[in-house]
Amino acid sequence: MSLRLVGRNVLPVLGAGIFLWPAAPVQAGPQHFEKHFTVKGRPVVVIQNIGNGRIEVKSWRNPEVVLTGTQASDKINIESEQAGDRIGVSSSLIDASAQPAEMQADFELTVPEETELQLKTQTGLILVEQVMGDMTLESVAGDVHLKEVSGYIIVTTKSGSLVCTQCAGKLNFNSISGSAQLLQPQLSNVNLFTTSGNILFDGDFVRTGLYTMKSGKGLVEVRFSTNDSFDLNAQTSTGTVDNQAADFLKPDSHGLKHFASKYTKGFIATVGQGLAKVELSSYSGTIRILKRD
Amino acid sequence: MRGSPQCQDVAEAIEREGLSPLPETVREHLPSCVACQGFVADLDSIVTAARQFPTEVEPPARVWISLRAQLAAEGLLREEGLATEATRGGRWWQKGWGHGFSGLLQGRALATAAVGLLIFAAGVAQLRHNSSITPPQPIVKEQPQELDPLADSGAALRTQEHELRSAQPAGTLSSSPVDDSLQKDLQTLDAFIAECEYHLKANPHDQLAREYLAGAYQQKAELLAEMMDRGRSVN
Repeated sequence: MSLRLVGRNVLPVLGAGIFLWPAAPVQAGPQHFEKHFTVKGRPVVVIQNIGNGRIEVKSWRNPEVVLTGTQASDKINIESEQAGDRIGVSSSLIDASAQPAEMQADFELTVPEETELQLKTQTGLILVEQVMGDMTLESVAGDVHLKEVSGYIIVTTKSGSLVCTQCAGKLNFNSISGSAQLLQPQLSNVNLFTTSGNILFDGDFVRTGLYTMKSGKGLVEVRFSTNDSFDLNAQTSTGTVDNQAADFLKPDSHGLKHFASKYTKGFIATVGQGLAKVELSSYSGTIRILKRD
Repeated sequence: MRGSPQCQDVAEAIEREGLSPLPETVREHLPSCVACQGFVADLDSIVTAARQFPTEVEPPARVWISLRAQLAAEGLLREEGLATEATRGGRWWQKGWGHGFSGLLQGRALATAAVGLLIFAAGVAQLRHNSSITPPQPIVKEQPQELDPLADSGAALRTQEHELRSAQPAGTLSSSPVDDSLQKDLQTLDAFIAECEYHLKANPHDQLAREYLAGAYQQKAELLAEMMDRGRSVN
């Protein structure tokens, strides 16, 4: 009887205690945050993440910026401010003993379609989709994935790679060991430089567009179609040029016939009327030119 | 009242003699003219605010290295004097930008030298442009061996790297995945730089190799700056 009484009264309490016990240290664990910012025109959103983490940006048609995210611990502080249409978000370290995993902060942004972005993180993916506006994206080791974005796009990484799918406007990419892939681009001005990463351009060259792609040691590969129209200059100091589209190239029709330097090897040629200008170079890597099927 | 000859005298007197001390004619006129009192007060506020501005704006070291490397890569910077100054630049890493670099280009000389450098570069660029539209001249004689400013940029970077390593106790250089990544990138750059430098010793006029070396120097300057910033924020 007494045991039954004990069981009836104490066990639910113990059960609840056991159920709630793991929740006790939650305060020091991941914390979710969410903020809403009403904007009028084209907002400018700046995120400075001193820690690690992912930044994901998507768009909608509402005049509002929504910031959600998670911070791994209370050893970093997330602050945000709004001044008109400028929204700033930053993370700061408040406990120098924080381990890398405790410095993680992931951000998710939903912004109006026309928004300017300035994003910086250390590691973790930067993902931007369907946003129109100038953007400066900076990462140390995180990759940058862009899809259906347009504007003047500046991407700087140390080892992170860039994948740009259906991007339009102007693109400037600089990396030490990161690679760059431009897939189905509609970019009119491209400037890519990586010391040891690879470069892939697979798509159309906009007429009157200017394209410069340089890799110190990596592979620079361009896949073009016979409908394209561009002047091509490919040169390397100590690397190789793998021209797999010689049948579709003709001598340059705009005056340039040979290299100014005797130290480089490569070729100058034209596809179509040569309306765009494409400059490919590699110091010691390979330059590969292909025609798309 | 502001349009009267007396008010005009006030403006002229201040322009001629300054605000401190107030010219005699101004002191006589001010008590009877509210507009001029406001005018003088405004001027005083502007002068006070202007005095609080720093006397110079100092760009980060990497800007100078990048500028030098780029100019050198394009063959626009070949002045022996500048190269010699840059060799002394090792000290500015030691003392920090604010003190050390001012040793190289002290005070207002920074702006003067930078502008002079740009003008020099622009002049050479213009000459190059002009020469490109005139018939090529036969090369009479090989230029004597000059100090290479690009090599000086490399030396300055090596000094900066050395300072960075000595500033951080052994074993603390790699403390996180980001630090590891930066270290790896530094190794990548160093290997590439060594490869380019070796090649340029045998082929000093390979313009493409020089461009790549300049680009690598620029990246290394930015990388070291990033590593220093991280060191400061952690320590």
